[in-house]
Amino acid sequence: MPRSEPTESPARSSMPPAVQVDHLVHGYVRGLAVVHDVSLTVAAGQVHCLLGSSGSGKTTLLRLIAGLERPWSGEIWIAGERVESLGVHRPPEQRRIGYVFQDYALFPHLTVAQNVMYGMTVAPRGARRQAALEWLARVDLADRADAMPHMLSGGQQQRVALVRALARGPAVMLLDEPFSGLDMELREKVRQETLALLQAAQVATLMVTHDPQEAYVSADIISVMQNGRIVTQGSPDEVCQVTTLPSGLATVRVNPNAPKR
Amino acid sequence: MALGPESRGAADANSQLAPPGRTSGGGSLRGFGPGQPSPGGWSGTCGRVGRAIGRVGGNGLGMLVAVLVAVPVLTVFWTLTQDSGGTWAHLRDSGLLTRYAWNTVWLGLGVGLLAGLLGTTTAWLITSCEFPGRRLWHAALCLPLAVPTYLSAYAWTDLLQGSGPVQVALRSWTGWERSQYWFPEVRSFSGAIVILGFGLYPYVYLAARAAFREQTGSALEVSRTLGHGPWSSFFRVSLPLARPAIAAGVLLVLMETCAEFGAVSYCAVDTMSTGVYRTLFGLDSLTAAGQLASSLMVAVALLLGLEVFARRQARFHSATLTYRQQTAYQLRPVAGILACGLCSLPVLLGFVTPVAMFVWLTLQGGDRRASELFWGYAGNSFYLATIASLTAVALATLIAASRRGPQGWLMRVTAQLARLGYAVPGTVLGIGLLLPLTWFDHTLNRWIGSIWGPETRPGLILTGTVVAVLLGYQARFLAVSLGVIETSLARIRVTFGEAARTLGASPLRVLWSVHLPLMGSSLLAAGLLVFVDVVKELPATLILRPFDFETLAVRVYQLAHDERLEEASTGALAIIAVGLLPVLWVSYLLEPRSHASK
Repeated sequence: MPRSEPTESPARSSMPPAVQVDHLVHGYVRGLAVVHDVSLTVAAGQVHCLLGSSGSGKTTLLRLIAGLERPWSGEIWIAGERVESLGVHRPPEQRRIGYVFQDYALFPHLTVAQNVMYGMTVAPRGARRQAALEWLARVDLADRADAMPHMLSGGQQQRVALVRALARGPAVMLLDEPFSGLDMELREKVRQETLALLQAAQVATLMVTHDPQEAYVSADIISVMQNGRIVTQGSPDEVCQVTTLPSGLATVRVNPNAPKR
Repeated sequence: MALGPESRGAADANSQLAPPGRTSGGGSLRGFGPGQPSPGGWSGTCGRVGRAIGRVGGNGLGMLVAVLVAVPVLTVFWTLTQDSGGTWAHLRDSGLLTRYAWNTVWLGLGVGLLAGLLGTTTAWLITSCEFPGRRLWHAALCLPLAVPTYLSAYAWTDLLQGSGPVQVALRSWTGWERSQYWFPEVRSFSGAIVILGFGLYPYVYLAARAAFREQTGSALEVSRTLGHGPWSSFFRVSLPLARPAIAAGVLLVLMETCAEFGAVSYCAVDTMSTGVYRTLFGLDSLTAAGQLASSLMVAVALLLGLEVFARRQARFHSATLTYRQQTAYQLRPVAGILACGLCSLPVLLGFVTPVAMFVWLTLQGGDRRASELFWGYAGNSFYLATIASLTAVALATLIAASRRGPQGWLMRVTAQLARLGYAVPGTVLGIGLLLPLTWFDHTLNRWIGSIWGPETRPGLILTGTVVAVLLGYQARFLAVSLGVIETSLARIRVTFGEAARTLGASPLRVLWSVHLPLMGSSLLAAGLLVFVDVVKELPATLILRPFDFETLAVRVYQLAHDERLEEASTGALAIIAVGLLPVLWVSYLLEPRSHASK
């Protein structure tokens, strides 16, 4: 069996980073890049937050990593495998990612359990349903397995979207403003549960948010994006000082005494 | 929370999905679209072959459709390079050309306006108001779809002409003479507008109804809370949201009007389409007819461009998850009666009267050879229409799906060509296809004969069978299914497809497991529209059918042409009946059944 292709990451460590992005450039209109030369690494098991105001290119970056967009230039590695490069483009279904959309995008014509089973393709049907039920049980939704998505509350829909993506066993979870559709009290609770679940599954996470407080309490590493570039990167305590935050974000003051996860 | 052993098992099961690219090419086989080029080696070769098959499969389909639609159009445009031997100059100098052009424009305006108003108003009434018999009216409003406009024209002319039952009764009642009163003339310009408008409005009705129904009630409620009354909200929210669908419906009507032959020629209105026919058979000039047809197609291409532009301006994605049925306005008795009246008008004019007329004529005598001949013709029509509509829906779905997201130029061109095909008048399409297909058949026979001997010649495999007719139907009616399916796809949220992709589904699986179920009733509507169109289709069938193969429409046309309307009535009724079954079926299926939950 000949060697398939050079898929190891350039950094030959024992545990490759979940995501590595090198000099990524992308835009939607010719000559107008919304992601400028972005490089980023999400280590295995880490929660990495992309913090930025709307229009800063953070969602575009997430979509590029997922393979939903094809970048103008740059490279992307997922779990040590090169998925994006000049002349290389793995379609989204061939990348080991889990994506939670801002609107959750639960399939309205499938039950909750069928939604969770959707990403599992190999096991026999009975086993898949069993696995789906177990995943649902872990977010206290086993009893709603046969409900249709529109019968669930926003928080419940968010949890279904989360386990649906997790059930595939992805190398990295990509969360696009996962809590923005929830009200304040619920948001706190759902966030803690989500982070606990992600930690238990030991899956690296790249989360997009415009809320510094949320980034502060959730992240191991925060990258601040502005105008398509990463302007600051570091631990929550380093990054979330009002002086270093871009003006649009500084208006939201971070409470450093908030309980961290 | 800890990872239990069971869920670890689940994760393991999924990790059997080995990272693609490490498996020998299988991963890229699943990818329908272009994959990434990979360096050499055995797995690389397999991957390349798989990807090549995928690419050829996708593009090959597009290429096939593109060629099928493009060939008749190109054949017609090719006639522009030919010399018509003075016929064109004759058309121009005698003022016929300007008359054809202006008649077509005014007819289009009149019919488009009438059908647009009728279709939109009735669709909105049925969707947003509660009045007696609302569901029944919905089914009834689809009925005129089953009556081809040429049949409607025959029936109304027979009914209202000087020697027809209405005027005879009027005279015997009042004692007037024929010259003493004014009576509407069916065989006139306004008569053509009324007959076409009331015959074609269901295209707008079906499209607008689907669009109004899929609007979430909250959009309307928001408008109400922002200080707009029901009327203002309708014009500011409902109508703009439904505009792309209504425009698509009106566009279908306009194209149908441009291609209209039977009713218009019966009403003695000289349009471009009848001009083509007259030039072809009256002046006996295929070249000049093709030249006329190509100018007609340029006009329609402009219409298409406008429509595409309008659609691009307004790409609405409904938020299906937060979908809530809007609460219907409860109409007071007087308003309810008015609504009933408004809904009954198009049904009476477009369906009940012509059908009653044909029933009456059939009872008067009808076709005496009905029993021996008709079931055969009906079977032929049904069989052709079924194959054509299934093919059209499948092709349209694949084309529409390939056009979602980034798309190659080939698919863009294919879709535009398919739309253009609908505008090609049936006669011209027939000739435009017949020339190249005959050439193909003869060339093939010559080839095979010269290689394996004359006795192995396969015969006329395209023009000698229904294949030619079916090709013609695809070239002409693919646009119908494509329009409905594209509109429906555009209303499905983009994230559904993206979510499915990130969950490991290939583009084909996304289509099969997400988009097709969500399109549901629209697929049926698309199939129905093609089915009915094929049953009614006349000129292309006349030209492309194999020798001795008759459909109902051909039979009726031949009888009516010989002024044997009484005999034609049986066949006309049969056409209406064949078209009626799927109309009723789909109008039932399109109704919202009480979903388990709101």
